[in-house]
Amino acid sequence: MRTATPMQEADFFKLSTSTALMLLVGFYGLTFLLSLLIGKKKENVDGYMVSNNAIGFGLSAASMIATWIWAASFYASATSGYRYGLSGPLHYGLWGALMILFIYPFGRRFRQLAPKAHTLAEVIQARHGTSSQLIMAVSNLIGSCISLMVNFTAAGALVSILSPLSFIQGVLIAGLGVLSYTLWSGFRASVMTDFAQLIAMILAAVVIIPLIFFNAGGTDMLMANLGNLSDQQSDFFSTKAILEQGAPYFVAVLAYAIGNQTIAQRLFAVREDLIKSTFLTATIGYGAVVIGLGMLGLLALLVGLDPIDGNMNNIIPQMASTYLPPFGIALFFILVVGSLSSTADSDLSALSAIVMTDVYGKNLARGKPDPKRMLWWGRVTMVVATMLGVIFASLRLDILVMLVFVGALWGAIVFPVIVSFYWNRVSNKAFTWAVVAAVALFATARFELVPLVGAVGVFFELCASVGLGVVVGLMTFAFFSRNIAIAMGVAAALVSMPYTVGFLRDYVVLLSSLTAYGVSASVCVAISLRSNERFDFDLLAERVTSFHQDDEPVAKNRGRASTGGGRLAAARA
Amino acid sequence: MNGFFMTAYILLWPVASAAVLLALIVALVRDMRAARKDGNSMI
Repeated sequence: MRTATPMQEADFFKLSTSTALMLLVGFYGLTFLLSLLIGKKKENVDGYMVSNNAIGFGLSAASMIATWIWAASFYASATSGYRYGLSGPLHYGLWGALMILFIYPFGRRFRQLAPKAHTLAEVIQARHGTSSQLIMAVSNLIGSCISLMVNFTAAGALVSILSPLSFIQGVLIAGLGVLSYTLWSGFRASVMTDFAQLIAMILAAVVIIPLIFFNAGGTDMLMANLGNLSDQQSDFFSTKAILEQGAPYFVAVLAYAIGNQTIAQRLFAVREDLIKSTFLTATIGYGAVVIGLGMLGLLALLVGLDPIDGNMNNIIPQMASTYLPPFGIALFFILVVGSLSSTADSDLSALSAIVMTDVYGKNLARGKPDPKRMLWWGRVTMVVATMLGVIFASLRLDILVMLVFVGALWGAIVFPVIVSFYWNRVSNKAFTWAVVAAVALFATARFELVPLVGAVGVFFELCASVGLGVVVGLMTFAFFSRNIAIAMGVAAALVSMPYTVGFLRDYVVLLSSLTAYGVSASVCVAISLRSNERFDFDLLAERVTSFHQDDEPVAKNRGRASTGGGRLAAARA
Repeated sequence: MNGFFMTAYILLWPVASAAVLLALIVALVRDMRAARKDGNSMI
């Protein structure tokens, strides 16, 4: 057993070129062979996007976990453990896990209203019309493109750190590898391979975490070094950890779940009676793996590790290099490649579904989609998206600004999206203006376009208080009645106001995120209350149907179903 | 802080991960059997 020593001067252990190539080729080769098991000469467009709408519990839960664990999950969770100590990993992994939990009641509602949907934007179009659909589709497209780029970047970084191969070589191998097994069968291949990738990831995590713990000195090391933690780091209820990590992430959880097509796709693919068990299991699985790997950050803090170049993303590779034997490092390599690949293939499937349904099916095809043409659009989308992902990853762009923007867009659409499927007065105008106003005020606060002082600061803090009420209300509404949710939301907003005013302006990330929720909800409710529109939710199932029936385009049937649907039906065509 | 508690806090997560993995594998095997019996495709 190696002893715990400070590692400032430690170099990364490197796998040989042949070992790294063998691992990568073996991983992507096996995944490709696996995808051949389900390949069909003639793919069905609906199957390409959401399988058979009846995937079983094991595959769907595994796919949900594998998709939501991406390379950044490990690094961010470990960073949280390193920065905030005992509670750090919980403030990353727990809230990420709860995201899956809180979305499932809303997901069941979406599925109940539109059982044959392919994308959430498609359902939004059937509910509101094209402008709302485009807001949703564009936010999904940008989000998935960024996710793809981040995952390819992580592949390049991993390969360049742990092997003699270059960053670009790593990006190219990951891009080609993921595309090779996803291109032909789309979402079906993604779900199928997710299972195998998740097995590899969990087995690796189950071996790596205890191995590093005991090699670093085990319980004796823990007890000897606990005194090195600051008061905040040794406090399970650290206010610093809550305000800087937990609360902003907590606010973002619903936004991520609503704004990401990968979740919606799995929601529409799983057998309807298995939605609850699937999402509950995914909550536990995601939390366990991500919090567990976050513990490596806590261990790094305890052993006195100093991240090389001050880069927090080096924490896990440094811990692996120092405390794992070569076999363990190979496992770690597979763990990261598995996590980034399972998310990247889901992003490709999500992007293709959005382009197939929301760009081609609902707009370019003018209501008469040709299934073969639609499939062509899906596959071309995957190829183009992979090329863009590889190019942008190779450029090593700073994606922080894009992530911030997409996060805001997602935060701004959460309330309008959810409430659109419960309240029949919400109109297209209410949806669109709510999002526009929320994004504008978010940007003002996030980038401090005006100084957050005096009356302006108070204004944003009041908006943020309302936003807090909205978040609490929505989360309550997931499991309780509307009246309880409204009462909880109002109470949370009122109780928080004395604490937020004069205080929250120092936490701009949290302030701006909550502002997006508060403004979108306020504008949406205000415009909806003045609306005379009363939407019949039964129309959604009529308007959102399969594209492919016995090799015949279903446009004729779909056209008949929407006859008489008024303005919204016209918007759909 | 108690050493046993701290050790359990760190090692609890891989144990929970393994339990989830086991549950998923069992569910997959059941689904495969059911699909084979009914002649349906799983995906």
